[in-house]
Amino acid sequence: MATDPGVTASAAERMAWRAASELRDHDVVFVGIGLPNLACNLASRLHAPSLNMIYESGVVGSRPERLPVSIGDPALVAGSLGIVSQADIFQCFLQGGRIAVGFLGGAQIDRWGNINTTVIGDYERPKVRLPGSGGACEIATHARRLLIIMRLNRRAFVERCDYITSPGHRVNGVSRRELGLPGGGPEKIITDHGVMTFDETGEAVLTELYPGVSVDDVRAGVGWHLRVADELKTEAEPSAEALRLMREELDPQRLFLK
Amino acid sequence: MADKRMSEADVVARIEDGMTIGVGGWGSRRKPMSIIREIARSPLKDLTIVSYGGPDVGLLCATGKVKKVVYGFVSLDSIPLEPHFRAARQKGTIEAFELDEGMFQWGLYAAANRLPFLPTRAGLGSDIMRINPQLKTVKSPYEDGEELVAMPALNLDVALIHMNRGDARGNGQFLGPDPYFDDLFCNAAKQRFMSVEKVVPTEDLLKEGSIHTLKINRMMVDGVVEAPQGAHFTTCEPDYGRDEAFQKEYAATAKDPELWSAFYAKWVDVDAATYRANLAERG
Repeated sequence: MATDPGVTASAAERMAWRAASELRDHDVVFVGIGLPNLACNLASRLHAPSLNMIYESGVVGSRPERLPVSIGDPALVAGSLGIVSQADIFQCFLQGGRIAVGFLGGAQIDRWGNINTTVIGDYERPKVRLPGSGGACEIATHARRLLIIMRLNRRAFVERCDYITSPGHRVNGVSRRELGLPGGGPEKIITDHGVMTFDETGEAVLTELYPGVSVDDVRAGVGWHLRVADELKTEAEPSAEALRLMREELDPQRLFLK
Repeated sequence: MADKRMSEADVVARIEDGMTIGVGGWGSRRKPMSIIREIARSPLKDLTIVSYGGPDVGLLCATGKVKKVVYGFVSLDSIPLEPHFRAARQKGTIEAFELDEGMFQWGLYAAANRLPFLPTRAGLGSDIMRINPQLKTVKSPYEDGEELVAMPALNLDVALIHMNRGDARGNGQFLGPDPYFDDLFCNAAKQRFMSVEKVVPTEDLLKEGSIHTLKINRMMVDGVVEAPQGAHFTTCEPDYGRDEAFQKEYAATAKDPELWSAFYAKWVDVDAATYRANLAERG
């Protein structure tokens, strides 16, 4: 693997910043814990003050003072604009198509954006038991835009997932449209070295590199022959204000910015 | 007036080998742990546990009570993966039916409505359909003709939940920020048992919370167990938060048989009163 890219921003900060820049004001976003949480809270303090943050535990319009530690953290509730049942979150909002942006990560991902959060190895007797679907499959199925945040690693970016928990653009040759999945599917994979988007067949393509990173650096962390766009963009550095917000206000204890 | 109060042991006496038990709460939050421990130290076996899983699932796996777990996740929140469940899963000693949380809730909802299934799009394209051939799809009979997953009802023999307050008749109240799915578990089950931090007179139920906090009513409950600290070491806001130090100790026992036997002797194979006394002594 290449060395940690970025001089001023750490890899985690860069991923959070890059993810934040994908969010638009007024978006309804289904916020997961970890870096997505940081990204959403960062966006809401920068360019998206009216971001409608929805948490799986049933909190709607959350404005947490500090970054919540887990989905059930009471910090989410204070100042929020509503508490609904989790049934409403899943059935009425997610299945109902009200969620503009969902975030996922996972232990494995393939070129079609299929994600594994269930097992490494055999399902019946796994080598490693992972957290499970949680709400991941439902988010991958229904969110209008799906953003994936994962660090590059050949064990994570694999030719074939051991188990597909959450479907991407194509499963065993069948497209998500043919499968009847209403959401837009994966839009971007935001990694610690650059960003991938998806072509018309649903395959991941490298389209952006962070400063100081080469295509070979990225390919070293991908277990299939990664397609690369003809013209690669280079992302700007996170602004000083963004870094200050992340380091001093949102995650001063470095819970997520490890 | 029916007085439904009973002990943890009375609840366990109503459970039989091979039954399907739904457990309320969520992860390591408001779990009916005093009843779970009573099951863990009983001779019961071959249970199917249906849960937004936390230490309820882990403890019952560690004590060999479980044949199958139906879950969307099994987590201790501040410790992302429940270590006892993970150990059982990786040893292959239990059957696992992992669902998406939305499917899980839909299955409980179908059971609560006494419907055989409810249609959903979640699961299409996921390996869940490959691993679980018992999951079928259904075609919409209307013009759209859409193919959907027919999420089967998660019918429960028994539901176990823990609430902050309740009365002797089985009305129950949550005072924390989140009701979880405890009402749904009760509605999906044949027998329903609720432990509460404190049993209060019916007319006092509105003293601590609004009418909206009375999530459980007496037609949904067959037995009430007064269990102060009954959710320990999981959260029971606002009565108490999670005992993180205790949870760490519990988690560490998954990797050390000696630690586990000591933990089992002091914290599992004891009645509720002894458990509380041990807890008071621990300080």
